[in-house]
Amino acid sequence: MGVVLRNLQKVVPLRRARLRRDVDMLRHILGVQKFDLGIICVDNNRIQQINNIYRKKNVPTDVLSFPFYEDLRPGKLPCPLYRDELNLGDIFLGVEFVMKQCQEDSLDLHGALTVVTAHGICHLLGYRHETEEEWTEMLQREKYILSEYNRLTGRHLEPLMKRCSQDR
Amino acid sequence: MLKSVVRAVGAAVRVSSATTSTARALPLSCPTLLSPSSATTRPFTRSLWMLNSNGASSGYRTKLFSSKVLNPSVSCGCGGLHTEGDKAFGDFLSDEIKEERKIQKNKSLPKMSGGWELEMNGTEAKLIRNVSGEKVTVTFNVNNSIPPNFEDEAEQGQQKSGEEEPEIVSTPNFVVEVTKQGAKHSLVFDCHFPEDEVSHGEGEEESDIFAIREVSFQPEGDTEWKETSYTLNTDSLDWALYDHLMDFLADRGVDNTFADELMELSTAVEHQEYIKFLENLQGFVKCN
Repeated sequence: MGVVLRNLQKVVPLRRARLRRDVDMLRHILGVQKFDLGIICVDNNRIQQINNIYRKKNVPTDVLSFPFYEDLRPGKLPCPLYRDELNLGDIFLGVEFVMKQCQEDSLDLHGALTVVTAHGICHLLGYRHETEEEWTEMLQREKYILSEYNRLTGRHLEPLMKRCSQDR
Repeated sequence: MLKSVVRAVGAAVRVSSATTSTARALPLSCPTLLSPSSATTRPFTRSLWMLNSNGASSGYRTKLFSSKVLNPSVSCGCGGLHTEGDKAFGDFLSDEIKEERKIQKNKSLPKMSGGWELEMNGTEAKLIRNVSGEKVTVTFNVNNSIPPNFEDEAEQGQQKSGEEEPEIVSTPNFVVEVTKQGAKHSLVFDCHFPEDEVSHGEGEEESDIFAIREVSFQPEGDTEWKETSYTLNTDSLDWALYDHLMDFLADRGVDNTFADELMELSTAVEHQEYIKFLENLQGFVKCN
């Protein structure tokens, strides 16, 4: 199956092919190409709704991850027995939220979406940032992913957690 | 023009398997289905025949078939049949038209953003846009464009708002034709609104707002759909190719915003045509 990409919003004009290529590259860097992954692009209303339902936070945000494997040790890949367990889970991208941040900081939208998606995939792979230790561990992983991405593409993306420390 | 309609209607039949048209076609296409029922229908048919003519030899007619229902009870001298039922029907239609006009948001159709020109031909709408030497045409038909599970959704409503009617949304299949200057063929996209997206409202939708079902080249300006042209089905397509096709459409103004506005336009056209139909029906039932 690979990456299931859905665009459920009309606020932000997205380049689907670009987004898919970037997500595929992140999967490749992390060695999780054989796992399916859902990327669902939503507007502020929708992500706020989901944030409220699942995290009791009634505000829009940039990314929400729903792991297929909930108790993974960070950095350990799942060992599925069946084909339909070759799934990491879903990432909801708050593309409207990300676009507004990009406008404020004069950043490229698709670059920012790649950074946010890298953060989301780390969550699907068991990384957390509730404690200082977890935060450091996750930041290191994000730094590694993005440095590889930058090396392969010639871009200059930086981890999300450097700028923002609130939990997602 | 015909090319697009056939395409859109054909697609509609594929999507909704329980439409009246397929049900109607069933006895003809599946003769085996007729045989089990024939045993039960024959005695009934015969008994009706007996009642009607009392056998072939008698000219006697029972009262059942000579009831006054067949006689016009309201006469106006137009030569047409008018019954009490027709009168009640006419009154009902009059009320219905009044109600529908009341809920009609706007007499004029909503405008599409992005410089699309609208051409109407009955229930078929055509949106045309010229972009740097390319002509983009989007065709849809409002017939059969309201999802069939609409009523189920309404019944499941939690009765919290009492009389509040759920909104009817028209989500027609639509055909996008992209024609380059001087080219012999147009690239044609057969698109639709996936049902799980439009029917679940605030639920956990998983489908895109609109999706491409098929892509093919068709002779430019031809009215007939050429079935011998290779047709790319998106069911088993490489997703990267699918995304490029979606981006290609977005570059030509066919994106989620467009799809959303098309839904609004189609809903307004459908409602307008419905009211027009009711008026024609009223005129037909009543005497001119």
